[in-house]
Amino acid sequence: MRNKILYLLGIAGVAWLARNLYIIFLGLPDEAAQGAIYRIMYFHVPSWWTCFAAYFVSGVAGVMYLVKKNQDYDALAVASVEVGVAFTLIGLATGSIWARIIWGIWWTWDARLTWALITCLVYAGYLMLRRAVDEPTTRARFAAVFGAFAFTTVAITWKSIEWWRTQHPGPVISFRTGGGNMDPAMENMLFSNWGAVGLIAIVLIAVRMRQEQHLRLIEALRRQVHTL
Amino acid sequence: MNFLTQTLSVAAKDLRSEFRTKESFNAAASFAIVILLLFSFAVDPTSDQIREMSGGLLWIVYSFSAALILNRSFARELPNDCLDALIASPVSGAALFLGKALASFVLILLIEALCLPVFGIFYDLNWATQPAWLALVVLLATWGMTVIGTMFSALTVNLRLREIMLPMLVYPMLIPTLMAAMQLTTLLIAGQAIAGDDFVWLRLLIGVDIIFTALAVALIEVVLVG
Amino acid sequence: MDERNFTYMFYGFAAAWAILALYVLVLVSREKRIESQIDNLKRMLDAKENKS
Repeated sequence: MRNKILYLLGIAGVAWLARNLYIIFLGLPDEAAQGAIYRIMYFHVPSWWTCFAAYFVSGVAGVMYLVKKNQDYDALAVASVEVGVAFTLIGLATGSIWARIIWGIWWTWDARLTWALITCLVYAGYLMLRRAVDEPTTRARFAAVFGAFAFTTVAITWKSIEWWRTQHPGPVISFRTGGGNMDPAMENMLFSNWGAVGLIAIVLIAVRMRQEQHLRLIEALRRQVHTL
Repeated sequence: MNFLTQTLSVAAKDLRSEFRTKESFNAAASFAIVILLLFSFAVDPTSDQIREMSGGLLWIVYSFSAALILNRSFARELPNDCLDALIASPVSGAALFLGKALASFVLILLIEALCLPVFGIFYDLNWATQPAWLALVVLLATWGMTVIGTMFSALTVNLRLREIMLPMLVYPMLIPTLMAAMQLTTLLIAGQAIAGDDFVWLRLLIGVDIIFTALAVALIEVVLVG
Repeated sequence: MDERNFTYMFYGFAAAWAILALYVLVLVSREKRIESQIDNLKRMLDAKENKS
C-alpha cells in the first residue's frame, strides 16, 4: 500500500515536471537580457529551495530525535540530508552552466557561491560522520548534534546575498522584493516547478527513509542470527 | 562547587597536565613554525604580495596547529578511562566542555603569540600597527575555532579513524570563522582600519562565536552522556 | 552566441536530470542490496530455528 502511494506520487511528480518543461520551453518567452539560458532558473532556484527545506527538515528531525529518542526521526534526518545533497549538487551544476554563459566563467569566488559550496561540504561531512559510527543510537545522537551545527551554514548561505555584495542575482520573488522584478507568469512557473521538484524530493526522502528503517531491521536480524 | 570553579578547575587540570609533558604544545608550536617556513618557498617572502595574503597565511598556520591541540583535548582522557571518570564526576557536561575549551584556548593563543613575531621577522611585516583591533580579531576567531574544535573533539573521541574524522569535520565548519579572520587580519596587517563593508566580517565572527558556543554548551551532554 | 546560449540551456537541464537519475540509481541499487540481505538473513534464521 505504502509502496503504491509512493510510486503514484513519484509518477505524479515526474508528470508534473514534464508538463512544466513543456510550458517552460514552448509556452514562455525568452528573457529580455539573458535569452534562452534563463530557463535554467526554473530548475536551479527550486533545487536550492528544496535542498534548504530538506536541510531544515533534517535539523528539526535531529532535534526531535534528541527529544523523543525515536529512530524514525533519525531515519528522516539522514534521508533529508542525502536528498538535500543531491539537490545541492543539481543547484551547483545548473548554476555553473548558467554562469558560463552569463558571466563567461564556470565559477567565481563570490559570497553566495562560496557559502553554497561550504554547505555542500559540511553536509557531505555529515554523511561521512554517520559512516564512521557503528552503534545506531550513538550515530543518531552524533548526527543530530552535527546537523545542528551544520544548519548555521544554510542560514548564512540564505542571507549571503543581503550581507555581502555579490554577483549572484538578488532576490526576485515578489514577497521579498515587493513585486515588479519578474513577470507573474514566470514567477508562477517558478513556484509550480518547485512543487514538482519538491514532490519528487519528498518521494525520494520517503524511499530513503524506508531504506534506513530496513537497514535497522537487518541489524536486528543479524543480532538474532548470532544469538541463535 | 559552583559552575565557575568547576570550569576553572577542569581548565587548570588540563593546562597543568599539558605543561608537565608539553607533548601537544611543543608539537603544535614547532609544526606552526615549520608551516610558516614552508610558505616562504611558496611565495616570494619579500614581495608586497605577502602583505595581501598575510591574513590567509597566518590563519592557515593557526588552524593547522590548533587542530593538533584540539585533537588531544578529549583524546588525552582516553588512557585509564579518565573520560568516563570525568563524566561520572559531579562536574556538569557544560562545565567540562567550557573548561576544556578554555585550556585549549590558552594553549592556542600562546602558539599564536609565538608565531606572530616570527611571522613578522621572516616576512618583514609590521603587524602591530593596530594592536587593539588585531587582538580583538585574534581572540574572537580563536575562541570560535576552539569551541568548534573542542566540540568535535568530543564527538570524534571514540570513533575509529579519529585522526582523520576530526580534521575532515572541523575544517568545513571552521570556514565561516577562518574566512572572517583572514579578511580582517589582512586588512589590519596592511595598516587599514575596519570600516564600512568590512564590519560584516566582524559581525559574522561575533555571531558565529555566540551561536556555536550556545549550541555546544546546549548539546555537549548529548554527546558525552547520551 | 545565441546558439551557445541555447545549447548551454540544454546542458543545464541535462545536468539536472542526470544528477537526479544518478541518485535514483543509487537508491535502487541500495534497495536491491537491502532486500537480498534481508532475504538471506531471514533464510538463515529459518534454517537455524528448524535445526533447534
